[in-house]
Amino acid sequence: MALVQQIQLQQGEPGARGRARRVTGSPALRMVGRRLLAVIPVLIGVSFLTFAIMSTLPNNTAQAILGLSASPAAVAQLNHSLGLDRPFWVQYWSWLINVLHGNFGTAVQGQSVNHELAIYVPTTLALLVYALVVSLALAIIVATLAARRPNGIADRINLTVSMLGLSTAPYAFAFLLIIIFAVKLGWFPVLSGPVTGPASFFRNLTLPAASIGFGLFAIYSRLLRADLVEQMQREDYIVTAKAKGVAPWRVLIRHALRNSLFNLITVIALNLGGLVGAVAIIETVFQVQGIGNDLITGISNHDLPLIQGITLVFALVTVAGNLLADILYAVLDPRIRYGSSTS
Amino acid sequence: MTDALLQVDDLRVTFAVGGREVRAVDGISFTVSPGATLAIIGESGSGKTVSCRAIMGLLPTGTAIGGSARLRGTELLGLSDAELRRYRGSDLAMVFQDPARSLNPTMRVGLQITEAITTHRATRGGRQSKREAQQQAIELLRLVRIPAAERRFHEYPHQLSGGMRQRVMIAMALACRPKLLIADEATTALDVTTQAQIMELLLELQEELGMALIMISHDLGLAASYADEVIVMYAGKIVEQAPAAGLFGAGGAVRMRYTRALLDAIPHLERPAHTLLPVVTGRPPDPTALPPGCSFAPRCQYAEDDCRAKVPALAEHVPGHRWACWHPCENGAAPHD
Amino acid sequence: MAAPLPDVTLLGALPPLPSLVNARRLRAQRLGRALRLWVPAGILILMLAMCFVLPLVASLPSPTKGDIIVNNEPPFSPGHWLGTDMQGVDIFSKLVYGGQVAFEIGAAVTAIGIAIGGTLGIIAGYFGGSVDAVISRVLDILIAFPALVLALVIAQGLGGSEIHVIWALSVFGIPAVGRVTRGATLTIRGLPFMVAAKLSGTRGWRIIARHVVPNIIPTIVTFSLLGVGIVIILEGALDFLGYGIPPPTASWGNMISNGQQILSAQPEYVLIPSIALLVTVASLNMLGDALRERWSTQ
Repeated sequence: MALVQQIQLQQGEPGARGRARRVTGSPALRMVGRRLLAVIPVLIGVSFLTFAIMSTLPNNTAQAILGLSASPAAVAQLNHSLGLDRPFWVQYWSWLINVLHGNFGTAVQGQSVNHELAIYVPTTLALLVYALVVSLALAIIVATLAARRPNGIADRINLTVSMLGLSTAPYAFAFLLIIIFAVKLGWFPVLSGPVTGPASFFRNLTLPAASIGFGLFAIYSRLLRADLVEQMQREDYIVTAKAKGVAPWRVLIRHALRNSLFNLITVIALNLGGLVGAVAIIETVFQVQGIGNDLITGISNHDLPLIQGITLVFALVTVAGNLLADILYAVLDPRIRYGSSTS
Repeated sequence: MTDALLQVDDLRVTFAVGGREVRAVDGISFTVSPGATLAIIGESGSGKTVSCRAIMGLLPTGTAIGGSARLRGTELLGLSDAELRRYRGSDLAMVFQDPARSLNPTMRVGLQITEAITTHRATRGGRQSKREAQQQAIELLRLVRIPAAERRFHEYPHQLSGGMRQRVMIAMALACRPKLLIADEATTALDVTTQAQIMELLLELQEELGMALIMISHDLGLAASYADEVIVMYAGKIVEQAPAAGLFGAGGAVRMRYTRALLDAIPHLERPAHTLLPVVTGRPPDPTALPPGCSFAPRCQYAEDDCRAKVPALAEHVPGHRWACWHPCENGAAPHD
Repeated sequence: MAAPLPDVTLLGALPPLPSLVNARRLRAQRLGRALRLWVPAGILILMLAMCFVLPLVASLPSPTKGDIIVNNEPPFSPGHWLGTDMQGVDIFSKLVYGGQVAFEIGAAVTAIGIAIGGTLGIIAGYFGGSVDAVISRVLDILIAFPALVLALVIAQGLGGSEIHVIWALSVFGIPAVGRVTRGATLTIRGLPFMVAAKLSGTRGWRIIARHVVPNIIPTIVTFSLLGVGIVIILEGALDFLGYGIPPPTASWGNMISNGQQILSAQPEYVLIPSIALLVTVASLNMLGDALRERWSTQ
């Protein structure tokens, strides 16, 4: 199973792996193993679903390649040479076998999907990580400031701004950013060019990342703020820390924030699926040369191999994110790491 | 009264919840002498925990607190959080009800104890090395009779038993040798044998370190066996206050009807078998809608019209013994009528 | 303790101590609580009235056909208070009819989500075991699947129309509601009164109807309000990408998408529908928050 190994390689940060080895036979390792096994049916399910939906839809690939004016005979001929007249099961099976061998097939325009992915995936990943890291860092700072004094000025500003972030359509916000920062101020280009180095990364991906990140920031900061305030008011260990005479900031950061971050990790992972949708739209708005934009083009071309490949990558990102969250949780939370004795 | 360690006068605590006023503590006064043991008894919601947290400054911001609480003459109420923090954890320490929830689940217990040590050492000048603080923490663990203290130091709370966790909590509270330890239902969440062990430990340590102890509990029996002085609270007010001997000793007597009812609800071996155990019927009153007269009147089987109309004052009817009741028990004997 | 005792009878009844809490603060608390519920509710009622009642009682200009002579009118021009677009179509009319589409799709997708996802979630949460394993796995797949991609593929395959957009977006709604319902059901299932109901021999479906459904309704209602908001944003996204409501039918997504072409010259074409979208979704979110606050304190 090359695919599973690939996931393992992606996850296998040296630190995490070393730690995993130390706790051999521990509940944490068994849990990670179980989750890894559960990844396989999900990935197969996702690819099967894409295949099934695409094959039930009218308007097949050959027609898409040859154009609407092509004769039925020519369409049938191309269908045959592409293997599209074979039964659905056979097609899916041969695709699956190819993917397991690392071959994603050939796109409608004749280019290899592997090549396509190799070009576009890094840009999209860079955009995704950029948006995630910046919004998460801001959310942690702002939520901690807000939770220090619930209903204080920082808290009210944060609640208002994050409500706007939750309610704004990312594409609409993208246009607002374009109007201000690209058209009026001219700091960034309206359409993003190729990313070649750090300078072009910031120049081309800042506005797209901000468009995606605003909504993320809103979700993260709200959740974190609510969780922190809840802990500061309800949890006994917070009272214990205060009773020790520990200063409020220190209580908040050392005792509350640490525990709240565990919950946030889960939310981030669960949100990755929805995030992928936002990435696709925003890449289209800014014409970022990533797989999201490529996918939208693929859909309009009815380009099954391309759609399949990109969908699988997106699903892989989501699943890998979930898995990473589980592992992080297991590594960070001592209750899981050492197993619970009694409750 | 100048030798009092803690003197509380007319303490009042009020919350505003959902647009309504809740008087959690409504004018209570008491004193604690150095080295003495005071028991505050009451049902949940009677205000016993809130009053102690008010003194420690541990109530959420936005809580209105009135009256005065002086620690060796220093007024604690109205101090800023930064000023109060100097006393919290050093002169005043607290042990809580549920040791499973009172320890941070994601921090090693050793670190949680060293935090208590370093927090105060830093403010008192003389900085000390991490190593020294660790050594002190391990000694504290030994002080509270935890076996294999060096190993426990590196463990997480969930790896310890309930009794062990409570010992860790006590070790943490004792980190700076407090003058006054408040034990808030410290044994309630533990099983009976562990309860006795922890109680014994607390009293031994009290002796060893010469500190005063406030025991908050709903268990009158516990107060009878360990306390010097007993306060009974109901609906935010003190309803009876006396030396333990004056209540439970020979010649002593419980006067307030509520205290009597609590006392009757304790099972005794002398009680005839297969008879119904008397219980305090009904529920504590809704703190947002207290009755106009005596708060206990709705649940009191001896309540008369004046009980329902006027609030009885807490007055010293017998030297050292105060109670608030219009129709007290005669010598604590079984009620007449 | 030798001090003379006060005369108890003279002490008499104790006067109540004065309040420590500022009465103004109490009033402000109550007012804030009421405002948090009624302001978003009021805005939503206004928006709904604007989209569904106004076209019935007032004669609005056509939202699809316009007079090319009066095209590109700025806002506050006579006869067109929000101006006209490139084809001379009245922007306010477009906003009203586009709003109808948004609300209809938001409500329909959420209703389908509750009907199918809610049922699956209750079954999975209540029965547990292998039933739960199968349903949860299917929901996992649907959630791991980029919902927007699936919606796009379906919308593209079926062709643009309101009903097809509803089906496409249900792919997003069903697993989301399913997961939330399952979680809520699991919480309820562990509560003592459920155990009591089971022990007393009440039948499964009866327990679901009597005990499970009433208790998870608050969770589902608050989640649905958030869900309607998300669906409206996603519907706009489909329109925006060209797989939603086909032009010339008015929709907020189409308006934003069309405005994109002359963004620098006339940003209000993008801003007006964006603000409508923002106000609607924010009201839905705030209403959901306010309801959750009320129900959680009860």
